[in-house]
Amino acid sequence: MDYQLFDYGDQAIVIELGKVIDPEINRRVQLLGQLIMKAKIPAIETIIPAYATLTVTFNGQITNGKMLRQRLVPIIESSLSGDLPVAKTWLIPVAYGGEYGPDLRDVADYGGITPTEVIRLHTAQKYLIYFLGFLPGFAYMGTVPDQIAMPRLASPRLKIPAGSIGIAGQQTGFYPVTSPGGWRIIGQTPLKLYQPENPVSFYQAGDQIQFEAVTPAEFKAIQLTVQAKTYQPREAE
Amino acid sequence: MAFLQVIEPGLQTTIQDTGRVDAQRFGFPASGSVDRAATRLANLLVGNAEGTAVLEFPLVGPTLEFERSTFIALTGARFKAELNHALIPMNQCLQVQAGDILKIGPVEKGRIGYLAIAGGIQTAPVLGSQSTTIRLHLGGFHGRALEAGDLIPIKKQTVLTSFYHRRAQAQRLPNQDEIIKIRLIKGPQWQWFDHLNQQRLFQGTFKVTNQADRMGYRLGGTKLQVPKKNLLSTATVRGALQIPQNGEPIVLMADRQTTGGYPVIAVIATIDLGYFAQCQAGQKIQFELITLEQARQALDQLRQELDQFEQTVLAGKYRPPYGISRVASQRISRMLEE
Repeated sequence: MDYQLFDYGDQAIVIELGKVIDPEINRRVQLLGQLIMKAKIPAIETIIPAYATLTVTFNGQITNGKMLRQRLVPIIESSLSGDLPVAKTWLIPVAYGGEYGPDLRDVADYGGITPTEVIRLHTAQKYLIYFLGFLPGFAYMGTVPDQIAMPRLASPRLKIPAGSIGIAGQQTGFYPVTSPGGWRIIGQTPLKLYQPENPVSFYQAGDQIQFEAVTPAEFKAIQLTVQAKTYQPREAE
Repeated sequence: MAFLQVIEPGLQTTIQDTGRVDAQRFGFPASGSVDRAATRLANLLVGNAEGTAVLEFPLVGPTLEFERSTFIALTGARFKAELNHALIPMNQCLQVQAGDILKIGPVEKGRIGYLAIAGGIQTAPVLGSQSTTIRLHLGGFHGRALEAGDLIPIKKQTVLTSFYHRRAQAQRLPNQDEIIKIRLIKGPQWQWFDHLNQQRLFQGTFKVTNQADRMGYRLGGTKLQVPKKNLLSTATVRGALQIPQNGEPIVLMADRQTTGGYPVIAVIATIDLGYFAQCQAGQKIQFELITLEQARQALDQLRQELDQFEQTVLAGKYRPPYGISRVASQRISRMLEE
């Protein structure tokens, strides 16, 4: 496998293992991240994995990119083999369309299909969590079928409600907290995906997510159990 | 434990340190103070370690009552500040007594001020940092900006006179009547933009809009044309100039999302990040392209200057003239440090 290194400002280096969303490439990104953290290089502040890139941020007052590259290259070379643990699959209930998914119709028009067909396509498969990013608990997942792979909005919305399920090109995901964002919102889950008192999410990078369509009535019923803190996340059999 | 009582909270006063940098791996924003040099200076002036939690306040500062005597220092933007109705200087160590009221008013120049208190603010760290991320109700004081009536835990301080002489020069702040210069390094998607738009970035004049907060500052004045390509989401960095489809750059700040999908044409050199963060709405800006090497050299020089200042401050602690009380207090001070 080929890789590229480039500078990102004066305190970060990007290691690019590919340019596409690909489970195999992402596995390498995860593995590389683990190996770099294990190496405990003092100047490194953190690593930020994404689909096909691993960004290493460092303290520019301790080291510089040139010196750091020399440390990173052997680790990258050694990361090009190795396995990750077996994935779990989590079920996430979603109410699609209407007030829950204001962009469902646009996504349907984009693909020249009906909203029902969009829902069928979106729930028909499991999505791999490539990484958690953007916000705590925000899982980057792919890949959605071409018909519903609508590009993100030209100008991001200032406020998207927590639990919203969106599409951005071939990516799909949910907004764990209310935030600005440019994804096409097709639905919403009643689950609380982020809790400040317990900030670490139940799903992890490398797990899979399966969406399940629910009616507004079911949405409200689940929401009550979530509020009562009796809801348990469900795994697929 | 001692307390600091919030009389007036100011516009958005939060507890900040150097941020939960490592938690970015799990998607948590780094947060932390937006003007790192000002924060370091404030801590240095009151004898705190670098990275000690301070109060950060944009545009209008808080009014606070001290329950016990301690040392404080105000740095960053220039604010009108009064201690018991008497104006006090910024950028120097000051002693406050029990019952004193510090009123930090509206900003006079710059945008963001810092208040360091000897021993630091004593809230519980979350994922390795006391920094507040308001959007996520995370860290700081109950995950929010300070409110009137809050009692902020601070370290109980044995008051020593040995910090009195600690003062620094006022930092560089953007002048509202001028077009200021900010240095940039080419970003990862620099090549996505055609020559005309690359030039526009350096020949155009930009303006900080009122859509500016701890997440990012949106710029107006000049628009850039973005190629219609979908970018795979990737990590963000502080100071990145991302260009959404509407062509108005957004400069990513401390509370930025950890990853993003808009192309990044350039990144503000770390040396100018704090200076940029101090811009108020309406501030006119021109960008200047520098090489990575130049950015590194500038950063290195800043580090040397700050280290040197730190040395001066530490050495000055034991410099004459010593009064009778100072000799004694410094002995005690040394004993406490040992």
